[in-house]
Amino acid sequence: MAEETIITPDLNFVRSLKGAGAETLKKCYQCATCSVVCPISPDDKPFPRKEMVMAQWGMKQELAADPDVWLCHNCNDCSKYCPRGARPGDVLSVMRQKAIEENAVPGFMGKIVRNPFLALLIPIILFLAVLGSTGHLKAPGEGAIEYSNFMPVTYIEIIFMSAVGLAGITYLVSLMKFWKTMGSNGAATSKGFVPSLIATLVELISHKRFAKCEANGDRRIGHLLVLYAFIGLAITTIWITYYYYVPHIETHIPLSDPMKWLGNGSAAALIIGSLILVANRMKDKGIDTISSSFDWTFLIMIVLLAISGIATEAVRLAGIKSIAYPVYFVHLVFVFYTIVYFPYSKLAHMGYRALAITYAKMADRDVQL
Amino acid sequence: MSESKLGLYICTDCGIGDSLNVEDLQNAGKAKGAAVIKTNPFLCSQEGVQVIKDDINNEGVNKIVIAACSQRVNTDAFEFDPLKYVVERVNLREHVVWCQPPNTDETQAMGEDYIRLGVVRAMKSECPVPKITDINRDILVVGGGVTGLTAALEAAKAGSKVILTEKQAELGGWARKMHKVTPTKPPFTELEKPVIGNKIDEVNANDNIKVYTGTTIKSIAGEPGMYKATLDVNGSEETVEMGAVILATGWQPYDAAKLDNYGYGKIKNVITNVEMEELAAKGKLVRPSDGKDAKSVVFIQCAGQRDDKHVPYCSSVCCNVSLKQAMYVRESNPDAGAYIIYKDMRTPGLYENFYKAAQDDEGIFLAKGEFLGVEEAGDGSVLVEVDNQLLGKKVKIQADIVVLATGMVTSLMPEGFDVNNLTPEYVGNIVRKETQDGVIEEIEAVPTTLNLAYRQGPEMPHLNYGFPDSHFICFPYETRRTGIYAAGAVRHPMDSVQSAADAAGAALKAIQCLELTAQGKAVHPRSGDQTFPEFRLESCTQCRRCTVECPFGVLDEDEKGTPKEHPYRCRRCGTCMGACPQRIINFKNYSIDMISSMMKSVEIDDESEEPFIIGLICENDAYPALDMAGQNRIQYSPNFRFITLRCLGGTNLVWVADALSKGVDGILLIGCKYGDDYQCHFVKGSQMANERLGKVQETLDRLMLESDRIQQVQLGINEWDKLPEILNEFSDELKDLGPNPYKGF
Repeated sequence: MAEETIITPDLNFVRSLKGAGAETLKKCYQCATCSVVCPISPDDKPFPRKEMVMAQWGMKQELAADPDVWLCHNCNDCSKYCPRGARPGDVLSVMRQKAIEENAVPGFMGKIVRNPFLALLIPIILFLAVLGSTGHLKAPGEGAIEYSNFMPVTYIEIIFMSAVGLAGITYLVSLMKFWKTMGSNGAATSKGFVPSLIATLVELISHKRFAKCEANGDRRIGHLLVLYAFIGLAITTIWITYYYYVPHIETHIPLSDPMKWLGNGSAAALIIGSLILVANRMKDKGIDTISSSFDWTFLIMIVLLAISGIATEAVRLAGIKSIAYPVYFVHLVFVFYTIVYFPYSKLAHMGYRALAITYAKMADRDVQL
Repeated sequence: MSESKLGLYICTDCGIGDSLNVEDLQNAGKAKGAAVIKTNPFLCSQEGVQVIKDDINNEGVNKIVIAACSQRVNTDAFEFDPLKYVVERVNLREHVVWCQPPNTDETQAMGEDYIRLGVVRAMKSECPVPKITDINRDILVVGGGVTGLTAALEAAKAGSKVILTEKQAELGGWARKMHKVTPTKPPFTELEKPVIGNKIDEVNANDNIKVYTGTTIKSIAGEPGMYKATLDVNGSEETVEMGAVILATGWQPYDAAKLDNYGYGKIKNVITNVEMEELAAKGKLVRPSDGKDAKSVVFIQCAGQRDDKHVPYCSSVCCNVSLKQAMYVRESNPDAGAYIIYKDMRTPGLYENFYKAAQDDEGIFLAKGEFLGVEEAGDGSVLVEVDNQLLGKKVKIQADIVVLATGMVTSLMPEGFDVNNLTPEYVGNIVRKETQDGVIEEIEAVPTTLNLAYRQGPEMPHLNYGFPDSHFICFPYETRRTGIYAAGAVRHPMDSVQSAADAAGAALKAIQCLELTAQGKAVHPRSGDQTFPEFRLESCTQCRRCTVECPFGVLDEDEKGTPKEHPYRCRRCGTCMGACPQRIINFKNYSIDMISSMMKSVEIDDESEEPFIIGLICENDAYPALDMAGQNRIQYSPNFRFITLRCLGGTNLVWVADALSKGVDGILLIGCKYGDDYQCHFVKGSQMANERLGKVQETLDRLMLESDRIQQVQLGINEWDKLPEILNEFSDELKDLGPNPYKGF
């Protein structure tokens, strides 16, 4: 057990939670209906009741290290049954955002991602600078649409490889920080890491946990599609890199190629999946919280990423040269956004959640699925 | 009273005529002296009642026995001037035909016995002669806080003249010290400015209210309608007269010096909620130790409350007070945090909205937890260690101020006494006295407030924790001193809104008491009763049983110990009648001889194998419970004959001897619950009966008569469904004991 916590009032944290969409958090009067109705809360020290009081008391550090906010899948069964309208599901979703922000290394990146305009401005300036300094800041002249004429593959490789590397390292560091604090505060473990992690990954492939949600169970399909789409797109990216460097195919791949099937299929899955999630959110919360919700920002970014990607391909095939390069530019900006901000955005939940579930399995307080 | 003529009227409706042989009933009544006997198929109809009225007018009938339904129904139909006519109701319906199989020998025997009991009771009854005298209708209100001010205003508005006394130099009490008050109007979410000033102005402007500040009561003597009080007005003596008293002296905070484990007295920044009120009134909230801005304030609820070592009860207002004071913290500094550590958050009624509003504040942190300890940190702040049960772990909260929610203690509590350790009934010291019977221990009550010149003690009797005893649920303003009504936090912890409502209630009770007293009538629970106990003092042996046992302190004593009556204090329960071993206390229509004669009037079948049992039942709970059993057609043993008493407290032990020598096999007393959660309308009646029974059982054992033949059960009015079990079991038990050996003598 860690040393006794000394509590001092941190109203700013409470305010920031409220500002980020947890405006109902103070309504909770700790009846624990939420913990009782939650289908995926463990029997031992169940969430979200205790997380609600931690939020009310502004206990930032404790929340950042709390594995249970990650066990929550935002089914919102709790919010449905809450007698006081405290919406624990939504409050926990804001807590996850705060936990990502709190664990983020370097810390300022977590802040940047809060501001979508600033976050988008960075890649725009970066790309404009690169294009300007290399003299590519104009639409290529004759011939068919060839995106590599606009932004040479080498530049893309350099920029994105370093982005992936940077993001990967910072993400890993953030996750390790989370793991350490979680381990030092949480329950004692009785099972090994590797078997627990494998069990977690197997579970994630089928989204078994999601299937237990009652209030908005249809989110499972959307979420599954988005997950598989990202995996598909990652494979596509590796595949095309292989085509470029090994058989040296330096122009467009025909639509008949299996790599194209995978890429286009994944893009379609991404669009459909993210739209299901959007529709689900609209149904659940209405649009009045758009301005304040972190979830919304990232969901919209994913929709835009998918649309701009498909548009890039579509205008090339249609030969609409006038808008082809600007569309491609926009798509690159969204790709950059998705990769570089991955450790600080909602997408980061992937690693946190996997670790939290693994930890729950190790501590033997996992719910029966 | 002139020559008595008794008319017996038997109703045959509601199944009575179908289940009983009416002719034999008539004969039973005739044998006991009924002069006129009539049956009617619908006695409570206009025609039926007219039959009785005709007999009154034409035949001179002046004692009317109505053998029909329960005495609790059709009271309007069978209403005859109680000063001219004796009316007795025999309950053939609920107590016989509705609870017994029709047309059996047992049922018929029951019916006939009830006719005999009713006729004998009426024969032994006389009409009361009310005591009517001129009374003083002024009301003395003791205490000038929110309760006293409200009571004075309400009484004055109803037309009474009021004398208002306040110990302090100024009116207003604790209410005047409040910085702000909890919400009193919808939506019950906002703090309000205190309005006590308006009330003070209103009282000062009212010509019907005479205000004495800086005044205490030196003594109060007398009885309703004729009290005399000696006041100490800023050192000089003054005498006033009044008819009733409202006790509204409020509360005092529990002595926080006893809470040293909470750091009080040792750490400067640990204060009570009362001190917090003063601090907030000064302006910006700062640490008492160094005047630094208070950024974090921790409220410890139930500090010493719900704690057997200090205040064992909940003061009911502290949760709201702390929520209110947490709002002070937030108003004083928008970045400050207020922590409230509670055992249970208790914000009854519409205060729920207030709780929600406070909870919604981002800087008010609530948690169920247990206070563990407190220590000073180096920077002048205080570390409060709490087992936060909602977080499931121990935490330390850094506080600039720690506020202890200490409890409310009644103002009647004498200084130096512990609320959790008081002498029973009268707060005082136990002293040992030398008497001719040896050394006895006695309570020497400590006078604090009213200084009553009553034999039983100078202050109001208490049940627990020094609060004046009253029937908590049914008759909250009634105390055990007729004409003296307690209101507000003096009688149990409450806030100013409740106190104001309480004050209005007590004012109306005082007025009601005076109106009834003027007519020679009893106040609750025998409201309107015009009888009085009569003392045949020439036979008194000065045993003092009556003066000790009267639950209402009616009787004082002269030097020799002879009871001195104060009839207007009397509630007519008859506990004195039951207490008297000389049988010198009786009412015109309720007497020891009456019940003895009734017991002797029943016909016991000496040959029967079934026991014959007399049941003495209280008219307030047991009687209606039997009614309900009948209404629900629940059958029980036919071996009982019930005799209704005003209260079991009236049970005189001579009846036991009378019944047993008559050949009765057993006696069952069915009365109200007693003890801390008593339900007795007369507070101590059923308890006194039980104590007397304990003595008679010893005697029975000595006479080789099984003491089990006489038992008392406690029955709530809602426990009618338990009656068959209780009655059948007692009957079976007696059957096992065998017949009363005196049977047949």
